[in-house]
Amino acid sequence: MNVFQYFAENSTQIINLTIQHAQFVFYCVAIGSIISVAIGLVVSTGEPNPNRFSFDWWATGIREGSLLITAAVLTVPSLALFVLFLPITGLGVTTAIIVLTIYTLYTVLRNTVAGLTAVDRSILESARGLGYGRVRRLLTIQLPLAWPVILNGIRVTTLISISIAVVASIVQGPGLGKLLLTGITRIGAANAFPQVLIGTVMCLVVAAVFEIIFAIVQRLTIPRGIRV
Amino acid sequence: MSETENMIVLEGVEKIYPGSTSPAVERLDMTIPRGEIVMLIGPSGCGKTTTLKMMNRLIEPTSGRILLDGDDVTDVNGDQLRRKIGYVIQQGGLFPHFSIADNIGVVPKMLGWDKNKIRERADELLHLVGLEPSTYRDRYPRQLSGGQQQRVGVARALAADPPVMLMDEPFGAIDPITRDRLQDEFLEIQRTVGKTIAFVTHDLQEAVKLGDRIAVFATGGRLAQYDDPDTVLTHPADDFVSDFVGGGAAVRRLSLLELSRLELHPIETAESAVGNRNGTPVAEVDAQGRPVSWRHLPDRDASGTALVTVPLSGTVYDAVDVMLDGSASLVAVVDDEGLPQGVLHWNDLVAGLKTRERDR
Repeated sequence: MNVFQYFAENSTQIINLTIQHAQFVFYCVAIGSIISVAIGLVVSTGEPNPNRFSFDWWATGIREGSLLITAAVLTVPSLALFVLFLPITGLGVTTAIIVLTIYTLYTVLRNTVAGLTAVDRSILESARGLGYGRVRRLLTIQLPLAWPVILNGIRVTTLISISIAVVASIVQGPGLGKLLLTGITRIGAANAFPQVLIGTVMCLVVAAVFEIIFAIVQRLTIPRGIRV
Repeated sequence: MSETENMIVLEGVEKIYPGSTSPAVERLDMTIPRGEIVMLIGPSGCGKTTTLKMMNRLIEPTSGRILLDGDDVTDVNGDQLRRKIGYVIQQGGLFPHFSIADNIGVVPKMLGWDKNKIRERADELLHLVGLEPSTYRDRYPRQLSGGQQQRVGVARALAADPPVMLMDEPFGAIDPITRDRLQDEFLEIQRTVGKTIAFVTHDLQEAVKLGDRIAVFATGGRLAQYDDPDTVLTHPADDFVSDFVGGGAAVRRLSLLELSRLELHPIETAESAVGNRNGTPVAEVDAQGRPVSWRHLPDRDASGTALVTVPLSGTVYDAVDVMLDGSASLVAVVDDEGLPQGVLHWNDLVAGLKTRERDR
């Protein structure tokens, strides 16, 4: 059976899996980004005064600590992490979402911290000099100026997640992993190759759709004065 | 608001940074009278910027009191305080993601002004700083030149009409020609708004040109001298100040002496005055009454001497400049319409400066 024939006969299932895959990635990236940006905002409010113990010390500690942990997690093979969560959350969507979300954290957190700390000091100083309080400055000056960098982090993490999401099917997670894994485990058998090929191509389609969405979001959310 | 004569008063204000044994600013008493421009100057690390930033408590003083218009503001909420004090830094510090009008409107917006009022105020201020509102209000900072951004920075500081402005080397990163123009405009604006201004600079020329008073800071955060520019240049309080003011102080002083303050020699334009024996030079004028060449000079051949002019609004420095440039030993001083008001001789100039010196 060739690839086109397989696609024609299973199109409903394939399209459903593709949509499921995109939703799966979307939810995990959304949850992960909210967590990462929130942590990033809380921990990037200022540089600690080397001579006075203050909140900034905690912030710096949390920032470096969370970057270290999320980076370490990223080096754990995804296959292993999904399996390691099995005893805690069992087979199914919950484990899949938790683990994929964990994988999305590092890139977004890193970019949030980098973006917020890269904002020109003279801009922050003039904001303070004009009477901006800490929170107002963070939300109306720092965050909008860091947004292009943060958004880029979310975009990169989305692309990475599309491929990691495939692995989630070993804990019976949703998405194209089901198709790919079936094909891979039965390689040589009938339909195995079409399944792998179609699964791969549909991942690319999902990636392309996300790229288009990001281009639009970028256009709509990056303030005009700093758009390149 | 109570009308006090002294707008900003620092009483025994001191700053010792944590972990440091020597003060960045040593017990400082300083009074800035209402409506005056005070220039804070000194070598780097002398505490001039620290002093400025303590005035709006961007830097908290270690000890001492700060009074603003008679009120002790040492312990009030810093953010609230800063909204009532204009603040301008180098390169303007404009927010790149805000339009020019929004940049100007930030403080009024925080103070809860009505939207229309904020927009009108932004237009009014753009006018004041010489930028056409319809052209500039919707632009973004990166679309403006450095000089224009700095103008917007000044407009933003003036937005909520604060009585006090603090300026931290606002013209420091601007090319010399633009800087000179911005300084002139700044003085022009100050003539209209009459703010009390503390202004940090490292440029003595700028301090002399803009300041009603100059505060010279010495290394170690000590206020070495606090006087009007003329006194700082001619009577340095100590060796530090005289070193800092440096050579050429007498020449620099020329730029302080306005021609309008000098006794000028008379000038004649009538043809009948040619050949007079009272030593008055006679100029030939054009249809508008502006001098174009010398008809008669008492002690030499008039045709061999170029007629150079200098505006009455200029300084002795300008007069010397045109005389050197035109190889002329005398210069005609003209008013705004270009009509001759008098003559300044090279020799008078030296004598004139000496006379004023004795007057003091």
